[in-house]
Amino acid sequence: MRFRNRSYAHHRMPQPPLEFDSVSFAYPGAAHAAAALSRISLRVDEGERLGVLGPNGGGKSTLLRIALGLLPGYSGRVSVFGMAPDAARKRGLIGYLPQRSESELAFPISVRQAVLSAASWRVPPWKPPPRDLRERADHAIDLVGASAYADRPVGSLSGGQLQRALIARAIACGARLLALDEPMVGVDAGGQRIFADMLATLHARLGLTIVIVSHDIRSIAAGCDRVACLARTLHFHDSPKGLTPQVLAEVFSHDMAGIFGELHVDAHAADACSHDHGPGEHHHHHGDAGLPAAAPERAG
Amino acid sequence: MKTAEYLFGPAGALFWPGVIAALAVAVQGALLSVFVVLKRMAFIGQGVSHAAFGGVGLAVLLNLAPAASFPLIAAFCIAAAWGIAWAGGASRSRRDAESSDTVIGVALVASMALGAILIAARQHAAGGTGGGGAPPWEQILFGSLLAVGRGDALMAWASAALVAGALAWFRRPLLLCAFDEPVAASMGAPARAMRVLLLTLLAIAVVSAMKLAGVVLATAALVLPGAIALKLSQRLATVLALSVACAVLGVLGGAAASFELDLPPGACIVAALTALYLLATAGRAITDAAPRRPDPSPGAAP
Repeated sequence: MRFRNRSYAHHRMPQPPLEFDSVSFAYPGAAHAAAALSRISLRVDEGERLGVLGPNGGGKSTLLRIALGLLPGYSGRVSVFGMAPDAARKRGLIGYLPQRSESELAFPISVRQAVLSAASWRVPPWKPPPRDLRERADHAIDLVGASAYADRPVGSLSGGQLQRALIARAIACGARLLALDEPMVGVDAGGQRIFADMLATLHARLGLTIVIVSHDIRSIAAGCDRVACLARTLHFHDSPKGLTPQVLAEVFSHDMAGIFGELHVDAHAADACSHDHGPGEHHHHHGDAGLPAAAPERAG
Repeated sequence: MKTAEYLFGPAGALFWPGVIAALAVAVQGALLSVFVVLKRMAFIGQGVSHAAFGGVGLAVLLNLAPAASFPLIAAFCIAAAWGIAWAGGASRSRRDAESSDTVIGVALVASMALGAILIAARQHAAGGTGGGGAPPWEQILFGSLLAVGRGDALMAWASAALVAGALAWFRRPLLLCAFDEPVAASMGAPARAMRVLLLTLLAIAVVSAMKLAGVVLATAALVLPGAIALKLSQRLATVLALSVACAVLGVLGGAAASFELDLPPGACIVAALTALYLLATAGRAITDAAPRRPDPSPGAAP
């Protein structure tokens, strides 16, 4: 591979699941010329769990979609398992859970069928799905804790059950990197524990690399080794404990109060730190200054 | 029993091709209709079938023989389907005000207008009130069983075989992509190609139904059977089987009603399918209203 000997030659390890090198991106035709991402560099190692925390419109979903190779036209270098994002995606190496599921829940298929379809879609039409793929699907269902309702129609599941079914689907395609976009939206307090336990299981049993992007610190706290804060530029921290109110104030600029209402944040410090985007611009970006947890993110 | 008299009497050869073609239309429409309903493509089907009217108009203007007009009409329908697929892809961003919905609406009326103008132009050219070789309006709009010949019936079954074959061949990526396009794309599946495939098959099915059911009714078989079947089952294999069964039942029942009562067959078939749909809706409403036993499966929360 082209980049193997450049900066990480001392790691005699396989290619890192995700590597961004000075990546910038602006949506074409955006009303203002501001970049959605500006000079992002990051590296996620095999088996690592990275949480990317940032406000709505901060570029989190953009980051994931670039990693998936679904968004061309960025500058800088992105590699996924040492490959171009597009090539990695075509090999099914990334399991992706989008922020808003577009799953057609009226489909008359069971959880097992939905998961198996992700595992076996490459099987030629004249063959039945081979045993190992069926076992992989069942194993994925088992790991996320969806066995009890594996034969129920997808349309009959609760929000939490559906999320687990969709994660089973994402890993059943053989993914080595699991990318979750706002996984805690609509999950209640009871669901949070279950979700954290499930991620821990996936991490321990499959050795999956996990990237969670969210504006909600509960998602990140669900079990990340490392946290990065993203508001068009990236700030790294070694653990969730490194997230001081000052850091949060800087990243979330003005809208952290809605999310971290219980934290005391010095408003003046926040103003002083919001250097790369003003509040007005921020509003423009996601067009909805209401409750951040409920606001659908458009461009980010 | 006029039905037996028509089919097995001396004039039977006139009716059989229509009935046989109708069964082919029913089978392929039924298979596709499950996807059409689930993917909310009914309006796309309308757009594609109405696009055929432009093709019919052009065929009439050029005074083409039926064998030559078929590919022309098919070209109009497939072009409309691909145009809609392209518009749908282009307007995926929510910032784009021009949704594929709008594009379908425009294509639909534009094609109807084009067809009407071309047919009228042909009639003027032929001088006066005679059809100028054009089939009657009614037949273009609502179809005719008697207009269907042996060749049309053969074509309809070839089309049914193509549609069923393509659905079977691509069933796995098709199911994956139809269930969730963005996630399927993230797994490397050809989500866009599957969408185009589905729309192309839809156009083919519409064309093969065109003579029989006309521009207006051609999409009936592409919506109603799937809508009925999806009310009756939550298993994909069962839904597909029920959909085909309902479509065949509707075609046979509608054709029989049309023979007995001397009414237009296309309309009778649609009426029969609509009756089945209303029955299924009522049945579903009654089942849903019945008290449900609580869900016994563990882990039902959260």
